[in-house]
Amino acid sequence: MLRISEHPILTFKHGQQVAFRYDGQELVGYEGETIAAALHAAGVKVLRKSTVLHRPRGFFCAIGTCSSCLMKVNGEPNVRVCVEKLKAGMVIETQQGKGDLREDV
Amino acid sequence: MRKSAEVVIIGGGVIGTAIAYNLARQGCTDIVVLEKEYLASGSTGRCGAGVRQQWGTEMNLRMSIASVKMFETMNEDLDYDGDIEFKQGGYLLLAYTEAGWRQFNENVALQKSFGLDVRLCTPAEARQIVPHLNTEGLIGATFNQTDGHCNPFHVTDAYAKAAKRLGVEICTYTEVTGIRRDKNRVVGVETNKGFIATEKVVNAAGGYSSVIAEMAGITIPTYPERHQILVTEPVAPLQNPMVMSFHHHIYCQQTPHGSFIMGLGDPTEQPGFNTRATWQFLEEMSQKITWLLPPLKGIRVVRQWAGLYNMTPDRTPILGSVPELLGYQMAVGFSGHGFMLAPMTGLLLSQSILGLPTSLPIEKMDLGRFERGELFNEPSVV
Repeated sequence: MLRISEHPILTFKHGQQVAFRYDGQELVGYEGETIAAALHAAGVKVLRKSTVLHRPRGFFCAIGTCSSCLMKVNGEPNVRVCVEKLKAGMVIETQQGKGDLREDV
Repeated sequence: MRKSAEVVIIGGGVIGTAIAYNLARQGCTDIVVLEKEYLASGSTGRCGAGVRQQWGTEMNLRMSIASVKMFETMNEDLDYDGDIEFKQGGYLLLAYTEAGWRQFNENVALQKSFGLDVRLCTPAEARQIVPHLNTEGLIGATFNQTDGHCNPFHVTDAYAKAAKRLGVEICTYTEVTGIRRDKNRVVGVETNKGFIATEKVVNAAGGYSSVIAEMAGITIPTYPERHQILVTEPVAPLQNPMVMSFHHHIYCQQTPHGSFIMGLGDPTEQPGFNTRATWQFLEEMSQKITWLLPPLKGIRVVRQWAGLYNMTPDRTPILGSVPELLGYQMAVGFSGHGFMLAPMTGLLLSQSILGLPTSLPIEKMDLGRFERGELFNEPSVV
């Protein structure tokens, strides 16, 4: 519902609709759009909590620079979802604290 | 800036500010510290932030052991409003050759004779200390728990603030352009902001120590050498100790903030003031560290930089006075470990400047040792 589908000047092309998991929920988005775009369209606005004061952090720079959108994607920590493209079946998780490089967590 | 001072210290790094504080604490407060840029802008702020006691020669050992004791209580001793972030997660030193392992055995015997609780480890034991360590080709390791990490910016800030409270004047963006002498005595220091009359000048200029010495008419065998470092994004605590390999010329530690700081010495680096960072370093560092510590392969680098080691021929600092120029003292040539030796250096230099007995035999580390042939030849430098 946050997705712009009609625009007086621009036209939008997108890939096919795919399912992915976000913190245990089944959501859908378009293949090839950024993970952040798919989450935003699904109404997910809080992407992580700040590591010191634990305040909500959302979509901000959108170019992979600000670290506001670090999430765990298919088990990999600290993925910048504003520049990472969505693929079918991806498992996206909210990261607790700083990313953890150990494989068993 | 005052027109005269009892002592002028050249260099606003951790060494210069530590000397200023120690002098002031003992009642000598008419001091000016001159810094070309901002505090810790040179070698101090560019260092790897490691604190190690596992040295292979007597004076480095004694100075580092004493310095660790001072780091342990520094927040309180300097009444610091921040935190110097001293973390004693240990240093794990790795040996990959028989010669390296023999050297480690000799080092440990010497270290133990000075009371260091260091131990020799098998590769399996090293892996208990750092579970993600790749032990391929590893012969053995040494480990000392009380080594670790400390924040060089905060330590310099702590010394500078404590010194200022005692009346020390710190002039940043003030460059020394000359040292005036009258025959064999120092009479003052020229800067880009004017002249300061003084009978005592301290060379604590880090990578630029030989340039300052030259201004005083003293020739010292120090030279600058570029070393490069990178820092990663912060991640959850993974690695407590600093991991260091002299064979690969690398070291890598996780800071309390969670970022990994790692550096690489290039044996082919030529002396010089070049502090540019290179992509070749980034590539080689990444290759070596992801081989040694495989979980780091997914981590992102956020920044890289270079700084100057101030090298001496025996990789040991030059401290104290010189017979040919009255009033000139120096604390230079730390060869890549000035930060970790700074607390004790500050105390020793203050004692030397005030003409007091020194807590350690500082005369062994004088400039004259190169003529006398009494070199230390520290084996354990990356």
